[in-house]
Amino acid sequence: MSYDLRDKTGILPIALRSCIQLFRRPIYWFGIFFLPLFMFLFLTSMFEKGLPTRVPAAIVDRDGSPLSREVTQNLASMQMVDFTHDADSFSEARHLMQQGNIYGFFLIPEDFQADLLAGKKPEITFYTNMTYFVPGTMLFKAFKLSATYTKADVAANVANSLGADASTLTPMMMPVQIQTRGLGNPGLNYGIYLANSFVPCTLQLMILLITCFSIGQEIKYRTSIHLMKMADGSVVKAIFGKLLPQTVIWFFIAIFMTSWLFKYNHYPMNGSWGWLILSQLLFVMACQGFALFFISVLPNLRLSLSACALLGILSFSIAAFSFPVESMYGAIGIFSYMVPVRYNFLIYIDQALNGIDIAYSKMYYIAYIIFILFPFTVLWKLKKNLLNPVNVP
Amino acid sequence: MSFRQTIKSMAEVYCREFKLVLHDAGILIFFMLLPTIYPIIYSTIYNPEIVKNVPVVVIDNDRTPLSRDLVRNLNACDQAWVIGYAANLSEAQRAMHEKKCYAILEIPEGFNRKVGNNEQGNTVLYCDMGLLLRYRGFVMATTNLMEHYGSTLLTEKIDNILPLAETVITGDPLPIHNISMGNIRSGFDSFIMPGVLMLILQQSIILALGMAGGARRENPALTGYSSYNVAPSVLQTMIAQSLCYITILLVQIIFIVHYVPLIFKFPMMGNTLEIFAFIIPFIFASFGLGYTIQAFVTERESIFVIWVVTSLIFLLLSGLIWPLYDLDPVWKTLSSICPSTWAVEGYVKMNANGASLAQVSECYRNLWLVALGWWFTGWCVRKWIVRPQLMRIHKSVISR
Repeated sequence: MSYDLRDKTGILPIALRSCIQLFRRPIYWFGIFFLPLFMFLFLTSMFEKGLPTRVPAAIVDRDGSPLSREVTQNLASMQMVDFTHDADSFSEARHLMQQGNIYGFFLIPEDFQADLLAGKKPEITFYTNMTYFVPGTMLFKAFKLSATYTKADVAANVANSLGADASTLTPMMMPVQIQTRGLGNPGLNYGIYLANSFVPCTLQLMILLITCFSIGQEIKYRTSIHLMKMADGSVVKAIFGKLLPQTVIWFFIAIFMTSWLFKYNHYPMNGSWGWLILSQLLFVMACQGFALFFISVLPNLRLSLSACALLGILSFSIAAFSFPVESMYGAIGIFSYMVPVRYNFLIYIDQALNGIDIAYSKMYYIAYIIFILFPFTVLWKLKKNLLNPVNVP
Repeated sequence: MSFRQTIKSMAEVYCREFKLVLHDAGILIFFMLLPTIYPIIYSTIYNPEIVKNVPVVVIDNDRTPLSRDLVRNLNACDQAWVIGYAANLSEAQRAMHEKKCYAILEIPEGFNRKVGNNEQGNTVLYCDMGLLLRYRGFVMATTNLMEHYGSTLLTEKIDNILPLAETVITGDPLPIHNISMGNIRSGFDSFIMPGVLMLILQQSIILALGMAGGARRENPALTGYSSYNVAPSVLQTMIAQSLCYITILLVQIIFIVHYVPLIFKFPMMGNTLEIFAFIIPFIFASFGLGYTIQAFVTERESIFVIWVVTSLIFLLLSGLIWPLYDLDPVWKTLSSICPSTWAVEGYVKMNANGASLAQVSECYRNLWLVALGWWFTGWCVRKWIVRPQLMRIHKSVISR
């Protein structure tokens, strides 16, 4: 080392020392650059198509009449469904579903046409495999619509057979139409919905782990004594210098993440860039503060890393990206507001997806600041640990 | 080496490993706490299963019996809850921005008249897209509503033009039924958790093995023990260690595979014994992957940084979120070498859809293949990376 740091004190030398540590260990390269960037790419490329199309399904035509064939043809013309398998009976179709070859099937009962024309009200039943939500729901919608059209068609046929003019009936296929319009995500793109929550959550997980790991290493290898000496015994200085280089790197990664999502992948961005970027930067520091809190409160590296890993992974569910907070049990739902990424998600919905007035989201920015400031109340405990490092394997 | 000696030295490895794990709180967390606590926390978060009564605001510009009937019917749907009327769009939007509602139903003027005139009455439901599950509920509700109006208005209409037809058709001429298979309530917990259980099992095993591997390669002065396994060959050591880990994990495996679904009332259609038979190659595949990962873990804590985030990759590649048949070829290849992909697929089919072991034979066979592959890479890692380093550490400790 050309520049001797051993006797220097102050924030800058500490930051420099921290840079050298980051640079030297491959695990930091892996955890700070490789893993997050890979995850960004992975999450967005996986959902590039937006929605899966052509869900494999089967049709069970027990009737084999002209009418049932017409129903089959109508169904087969739907873009969402792909009739990959033929089944002759319910149990055969069920077996296909159990084996995972199809995600649902449409059952036309025996004597369908004859019963219908005789007014015996045959029943159409369709089965969807709801153990897979996305294909199951898509099949539900396609099947239900087809069945409804079939019904109108059939009614017209019946009226016709009774000697009425069926043309008065055809406009009545769907008398009441309710169009569902997804605001900000009209194409129902799964990537917009999942990547925008999972990508920042991945970033949060990595920031928590790296922050914890890097400070814990000082304690484990007893280098924290030297660190505190360089900081003139001030824990705030020590931590500030130690984390500053990481903060800067994370800032760049967070900004890259934002442009990756909203510029390169063209995810909806209807608000102000300034507020969004501010949210990402505060988010980085909030995560660092969150990790700092755990490493201060918990006695050793392993426990604090375990806590960060647990919360980092749990955030994917508790931050309510998929299952809404108000549907959770109250006692569980409140925890959702105790992880930084929840606020990132809420700001994203308000500012990027919906582009509403910033006044609606100001509380979320305040929450970030609380996360940043909160660990300062427990830093005295960390100071004790740094001055008197004990490694508990 | 005779058979007797082999068994004896493997028993030694088994005992030594047992002692080691029991004295290591870090590994115990992964082996004991993680597989017990995680399934419970996760299942509790999603336990309400169904997203019900999502608030909706209505803008009714028609104010006719039919429009009121539509609102009443929407409110009657499980998924939606009409919290009130708004005078105009901006008032409704404000309610949405304040998160008082997540959808706005707009009924245009002349809606009733249009339907009466044999035209289509168009209404629009604007949905907030922050959460897909809310939107999904609205889609289900509106699809059902449209079908409902289709049949009731149609029957009325037929009765009007053909008074006699009533003798032929009364009520719905063609009832339509939908049955959800497997996950019969379409609950979110029952959908995501059985798969996640498999992921938790795999990740607990790999994290524990990674940490155990890292601990061995550290300076004994830091970790407090020298864990060099002297006698048998690499493969024998691996087998003996796996048997030891299985002994420790047995209760947790039974808990995860059988009791968690029982406690949280997930669909349980499968044959329990067959499910356990299916799980065996999965456990071994996870061990193999864990041994392979030991190549990259030079320090016990690094496993956290390296491995925790992969849970997400495994989840997304498992086919639960995005169906496997539609996966990009590159990701599909990657997904096929993950033990969890096959385990999730097979377990979900058996547990929720009641498939037999024979019906998931493809997953079962692939699990054995994946296990074989990862054991081979694990063996290579042990033979050429881990063991030489252990020897060096051992020598330096002895010479001291």
